[in-house]
Amino acid sequence: MNLLAAAIAVGLAALGAGIGNGLIVSRTVEGIARQPELRSALQTTMFIGVALVEAVPIIGVVIAFIVIGG
Amino acid sequence: MKDFDVMATRQRKWMFYLLALLVLAYGLTPWKAFFLGTLLGTVLSFYNLWLMQRKMKQLGETVAANKSMKGIGTFTRLASGALAVVVALQFEEYFHLIGVVSGLMTATVVIFIDAFINSSKDSKMEER
Repeated sequence: MNLLAAAIAVGLAALGAGIGNGLIVSRTVEGIARQPELRSALQTTMFIGVALVEAVPIIGVVIAFIVIGG
Repeated sequence: MKDFDVMATRQRKWMFYLLALLVLAYGLTPWKAFFLGTLLGTVLSFYNLWLMQRKMKQLGETVAANKSMKGIGTFTRLASGALAVVVALQFEEYFHLIGVVSGLMTATVVIFIDAFINSSKDSKMEER
């Protein structure tokens, strides 16, 4: 049962990270392709966005491993 | 290019300060296991931060050069979080688990505080 819980936690965490990062990166790529001179500002915004999106999936993976090992 | 590099260097600098503080706390306080755990989490969080900065920079350069890139290192960052927990669970007598988990979030906190401070600075500059 613990393994199943961990698998669901990691799977949903990866799904969330994938969707969130995909949305952020696709919009940034579009923006840089349109206006290459705004690259630095867009990179900074993307960086903060990716950090925000990835915080929760990392905690999800951590909880999954605690469930397996603890 | 330049703004992003300046921000990345500033964030790394703050992480080094925090690591130095944690080493001092480990050496000087009686809560050895907690601060060693926080230190482990912060080191891996620093690795995550460095990897994220590197990949974001690479992505910007590749897109500007009209090339393609395979990934942005999400899996590596998730795996480093898992590594921290596995080490903490394997050596439970040295690393406090809560410390490790809170240490893993250091980079996120540093990024947010840095972005908040600099956005308010930017808006003040625009008002002038």
